[in-house]
Amino acid sequence: MGQYLPILMLLVLAVVFAALSFFASRLLAPRRPTAAKSAPYECGIVPSREPPERFPVRFYLIAMIFIVFDIEIIFLYPYAVIHRELGGFGLVEMAVFVVAVFAAFVYLIANGALDWGPVKHLRRVDPRVSTSRTAATTVRRVGLEGREPETGEAA
Amino acid sequence: MTLGLLAQAGDGVAPIDTPGVAWSALSPILVLIGGAIVLLVVGALAPRRSRIGWHAMLTVAVAGGTIAAVVPLWDRVHDDGPYSAVASAVGVDGFSLFVTVVIAVAVAIAALLTDGYLRREGLEGPEPYVLMLLSAAGAVMMASANDLIVMFLGLEIMSIAVYVLAGLHLRRRRSGEAAVKYFVLGSFSSAFFLYGVALVYGATGSTNLVRIARFLAANTLADQGLLIAGFALLLVGFGFKVAAVPFHSWTPDVYQGSPSPIVAFMASGVKAGGFAGLLRVFVATFGTYRLDWQPVVYGIAVLSLVVGAVLAVVQTDVKRMLAYSSINHAGFILIGVQAATDEGVTAALFYLAAYTFMVAGAFGVVTVVGRRGDGHHHLDDYQGLARRQPLLALVFAIFLLAQAGVPLTSGFLAKFYVVEAAIEARSFWLALVAMVSAVVSAFLYLRIVLVMYAGAGDGADTDPAAGRPRLAVPAAAAIALVVAVAATIGIGLVPDPLTRTARDATPELVAASD
Amino acid sequence: MILAATPISASWYLGLSALLFTVGAVGLLVRRNPLVMFMCVELMLNAVNLTFVTFARELDDVGGQVVVFFVLVVAAAEVVIGLGIIVGILRRRPGATADDLSLLKG
Repeated sequence: MGQYLPILMLLVLAVVFAALSFFASRLLAPRRPTAAKSAPYECGIVPSREPPERFPVRFYLIAMIFIVFDIEIIFLYPYAVIHRELGGFGLVEMAVFVVAVFAAFVYLIANGALDWGPVKHLRRVDPRVSTSRTAATTVRRVGLEGREPETGEAA
Repeated sequence: MTLGLLAQAGDGVAPIDTPGVAWSALSPILVLIGGAIVLLVVGALAPRRSRIGWHAMLTVAVAGGTIAAVVPLWDRVHDDGPYSAVASAVGVDGFSLFVTVVIAVAVAIAALLTDGYLRREGLEGPEPYVLMLLSAAGAVMMASANDLIVMFLGLEIMSIAVYVLAGLHLRRRRSGEAAVKYFVLGSFSSAFFLYGVALVYGATGSTNLVRIARFLAANTLADQGLLIAGFALLLVGFGFKVAAVPFHSWTPDVYQGSPSPIVAFMASGVKAGGFAGLLRVFVATFGTYRLDWQPVVYGIAVLSLVVGAVLAVVQTDVKRMLAYSSINHAGFILIGVQAATDEGVTAALFYLAAYTFMVAGAFGVVTVVGRRGDGHHHLDDYQGLARRQPLLALVFAIFLLAQAGVPLTSGFLAKFYVVEAAIEARSFWLALVAMVSAVVSAFLYLRIVLVMYAGAGDGADTDPAAGRPRLAVPAAAAIALVVAVAATIGIGLVPDPLTRTARDATPELVAASD
Repeated sequence: MILAATPISASWYLGLSALLFTVGAVGLLVRRNPLVMFMCVELMLNAVNLTFVTFARELDDVGGQVVVFFVLVVAAAEVVIGLGIIVGILRRRPGATADDLSLLKG
């Protein structure tokens, strides 16, 4: 038990320090709010409504991939602990397992699921600006993108 | 905690007693999974669209390879008797091999149907085939599992892949809706199944079917509550997968919303996997307790027969009709399960094999008639089909009549064997209900056939279908339909080979020799 | 110290897991948000895990604990697939609940 005491102490210290600095800044800092200061941004357009919820799907994708690979590790830990005792059998079994996981990884890479950063494959927009294309129609088009009409039986 | 236990067990470098892995015993599963992985990797690196449709070809080849892998195992089982491998976790017996072949056939037919569908909808890619192969691997795993956990893994592999397949057509909202419904109810039932496994484990001290069977045969439990509750929960899990009646509510919605070729696989391959698990767990393992579970299965069978037949008749959407009729068929197969005899198992297996061709073929025609968008499934869309495309209508009529149980088709014999098994097991009332429900559901199939052949009026002017374009039947789908028709009629005329094979294919639980 | 005096027997754990399983099952049937329904499934699976661990301890058998690993992995796979399907739907129809999924009827 005694050997864990330093860790416990460190934990307590960390919590105390974080709490202290948090409350100290609140107590000590002068507080003179103005309308401009409490606005989300001090310059630019005042937001009139919440931005439409459009998280890039990429986030979900990364999260899902993470979950899968994270969980696969569950099988690697026990193996790592007793790989000596398992010998060649364990090695073969793990190789099979890792190959299967790796195949999924290759698939992900090949489909660009892990290409972080700006999307490269942008659809080429028709450079000719037509008269029918106004800001309003573009917005509407973007808003409806990927949705099927309410009444349509099929896309 | 497990880590600690394992580490203690292996103090020093004393080698752990590892089970021998007889790779040959696993070869059908390995072929399916290996094929899926190869298709996944190669498909990801190659262009998605191709003129020749090599994705489907490779899938059919993998299915063929699976069947080829079964042949030597079948011979070995025939000569040396069934055996069990990988520390008795996987059983190789006639039963598992028979179901493996049925599932492989279902995959091949569904893959051929999928090819044309994906091209029509502009959804080309390797993913559907990969998922189908993985799902089939899960179903095969269920059929050959000698351990409840292996069976659970098989069930999940099979189901999870099919959840995705149901939502394959992302642009169609119905497809997404079907996927969500299937997913939520499917995982709900999986949880029940797992809880059943846990309770059986608690009651018998093992998840291994061989050991459970031995334990149940040797001991009389003082308190059976845990075990019976486990039975009930397992039955709920299986009931969902095979779409039997109190647990059927997902079936019509999912069948209607999912892409039609996928439904062909769901109704054949997934159902075969579910029934294989049911037979293996209940008939083979819990056979000594049959007096406890038989009445429940009896009730489920009666409900499936009645509800499936009656509700099918009032539908107007052909896919929903076929969904209810598949519930009805599940009732028939449950009759074989309920008998819990070798005859019952044989009849159920025969039914599964025959039904695979009938239902996959029927949904194949539905795929073609659905046209672009996969939305033309109303009964009206079939009006006058016989006049426009007599061959297609004839093929559909054969599948429907076979499902109705008309003599000279495989469906008649399938129903006959099942009812015979019920009578031999002295379940006369069940046999009577089955026959009545067969008559009621025959009305449903005849209704579709009549619509196709009678159409509306005689003149081309009054025919609402006159202006419709001719339906294109893709070559791959045509092959699948021809094979299915040939099998349906062939089994009906010459049933002996299949009957004999099914008779050799009763599940036997054998402990591993090592 | 009263807690230490009362032995917590296996049946307590079994009862707790049965309770959790029921909470999950009822939640799945009652809640309308797909994501919450989904969490309920997870709750059910983890309740079963508790049962397995309890039995493994009672029977002094490692098998039950190993099962938990497999169930965890299956649960993760289910999460990923379920999230994928639900995100796919919500992208097209923000704020959809289970009641909105009513196209398929009859």
